[in-house]
Amino acid sequence: MNENDDNRPDDELMRRAAKLATAVKPERDLWPEIEQAINKPARPQRSTWNSGWAQAAAVVLLVSGSSGITYLAVSDGGNRTVPDAGPAQPLVSQLVSGSFGSQYNLGPDYQDARRKLATKLDDELENLAPETRDAVVANLESIRAAIEEINNALAEDPGNVLLQELLLETYRNELSLMNKVDGITRTAMRRGDI
Amino acid sequence: MQAQSTVITGEFGREIMLQMADTPNDESRWVRQAQAASSGAFEKLYRAHVDKVFGLCLRMTCNRSEAEDCTQEAFIQAWNQLSKFRGDSSFSTWMHRVAVNTVLGRMRKFRREQDRIRAVSDVAPTAESIGDDGALRDLEQAINELPSGARHVFVLHAVYGYSHGETGTMLGIAEGTSKAQLNRARRLLAQQLKLECA
Repeated sequence: MNENDDNRPDDELMRRAAKLATAVKPERDLWPEIEQAINKPARPQRSTWNSGWAQAAAVVLLVSGSSGITYLAVSDGGNRTVPDAGPAQPLVSQLVSGSFGSQYNLGPDYQDARRKLATKLDDELENLAPETRDAVVANLESIRAAIEEINNALAEDPGNVLLQELLLETYRNELSLMNKVDGITRTAMRRGDI
Repeated sequence: MQAQSTVITGEFGREIMLQMADTPNDESRWVRQAQAASSGAFEKLYRAHVDKVFGLCLRMTCNRSEAEDCTQEAFIQAWNQLSKFRGDSSFSTWMHRVAVNTVLGRMRKFRREQDRIRAVSDVAPTAESIGDDGALRDLEQAINELPSGARHVFVLHAVYGYSHGETGTMLGIAEGTSKAQLNRARRLLAQQLKLECA
């Protein structure tokens, strides 16, 4: 390894240096910490499909499915009058704010339409059969819980486009359900509404 | 198959255990297994080479605690870079390069070289000397006092036996620079040892 062109044979210094030990035993076993480091699982990449919004997605799917059932119930029983029904639970007060994560707000037109529909909904619900009303209320609660969950997830990951789409879809579901109950047809939301 | 161990008792009463693979084939097999993510095989490589790697880190840093950290980091780096080891050189040489890079990287990162505390209790003894009569201890102490550039070249070339080309490659300097640093180290060591003798 060593070309000794600059080491004279009588070079006492280099002869001494060559005698120095090259191996020294550490005073403690260094392996356990090395082993721990090399066996440490790779830091998981942050998944865009994390459990928080996977849950939210599941809720949306559930809501979408049950909205159809509610629609059928509303279509079937919407004209029935139910004199013995108790006062409908006011839903406007339960309306979650139309937030869109921490960085966005829903467009004012949509907010306005949503508020008006929610106000009308309280009146409409009084005319529904109890079971139909219960189904509508349960669905709206599910949708609003989903909105809240997705909003929370968006607060942590504001730039997540899929979450934004999911939230938009959930707001659409809410609006659609209120439209169905109210009988008002409105144009579908677009992303530009946000 | 167990690795062969040779235990040498040094001047300061500490044992130097030189653990070697039974055959070069063992080491090649361990390397292949470690490259296939066998931490057990990598531990065998560690056991076989840790003393030399630690010795090199200790001579370069002159600080036992820092040398331990460097050794650990070097083996972790080696594990992460094992796929790059093609067997062009021996595993020992490759491991030494990783260790030198680790030491230099840590020195650059923490700038400890200028600030390190030369506490004799921590620095000495830097290494055991076999059959030493005291002259080697003086030399070790004098090496520790060298400026880092000269010390690194002297350690790699004069103690570990690497050529100027290899030393330059490891340290990221030209071969001529390695030779110049060696001459500087020799001059400083000669002066220091002469002064101490006087």
